Amino acid sequence: MTVTVSPVFLFNVATGKEEPADLLDAITEKQLADWEAEWTPELFKAMQRLHRAGVERAQWPQSRHWDWRRKAAAFQGMLGTPGFSIMCGGVTQGMMLADTVTKRCRIGSQTGKNLVYVSFVENAPWNRKELFDPPRYRGIGSILMRAAIELSKEHDFKGRIGLHSLPQANGFYANTCGMTDLGPDANYQNLRYFEMTPEQAEAFLEKGGKA
Amino acid sequence: MSQSKKTMTLNLTDAEMSILEELCTKKELSKTALLRQALRLYQLVETRLEKGDKLFFEDEEKKERAEVMML
Repeated sequence: MTVTVSPVFLFNVATGKEEPADLLDAITEKQLADWEAEWTPELFKAMQRLHRAGVERAQWPQSRHWDWRRKAAAFQGMLGTPGFSIMCGGVTQGMMLADTVTKRCRIGSQTGKNLVYVSFVENAPWNRKELFDPPRYRGIGSILMRAAIELSKEHDFKGRIGLHSLPQANGFYANTCGMTDLGPDANYQNLRYFEMTPEQAEAFLEKGGKA
Repeated sequence: MSQSKKTMTLNLTDAEMSILEELCTKKELSKTALLRQALRLYQLVETRLEKGDKLFFEDEEKKERAEVMML
């Protein structure tokens, strides 16, 4: 498997400076090992803190049951379901799985057109401000959204992307990414469905993916 | 972050080219993009069928469901 590595920068919250990082157009064994050995223990500790602080289970991270190894195995070798990851400081900071085949646009003006559907996207636990305050790095979500848009453009989909958002991320997709909120999807656990038009994609890229 | 690509020549009949162009217009895709998309879809369908899944076309209004037989 050929992996393309692109230089990106993450904002290191502790130092207040940007730090060089790598965007990979793949999820390899290294990322899966990081998920198992680095992410999972931190996520459990964070959930323990929430539990002990009396935070309702409904407020715990909804992605806690995601098994990236199983997901990666299911999509391995499939052209239509590429993975992406971000490495910084020798550790995986974020991962994303996309689907370029089975979904179509829902926004009125784009109905039926091809898009890149973001099936799963997740930050390392220490980069999530609802779990770690302050988080270690910022900017992972925006870089992965940019990667999805670039993939969409590469496939001639003009930057169109779509996704179902976990409740904690609704604000990010609506405000930071400027996506259109098409409301809860009764066919998908009532998660809100967001979509980005070519114009919204250009606007997001122009502002550099910042809020 | 696009990967390096290889070039190939594709020979199509008039009818096939006509359909390709029609689909490209409809889907707003270049010929290359459309054929690459077709390859991704074909691989997905083949992989699922090999696993024992079935492919169906469904008409929700007419409540009709037909299995697509792939050769």
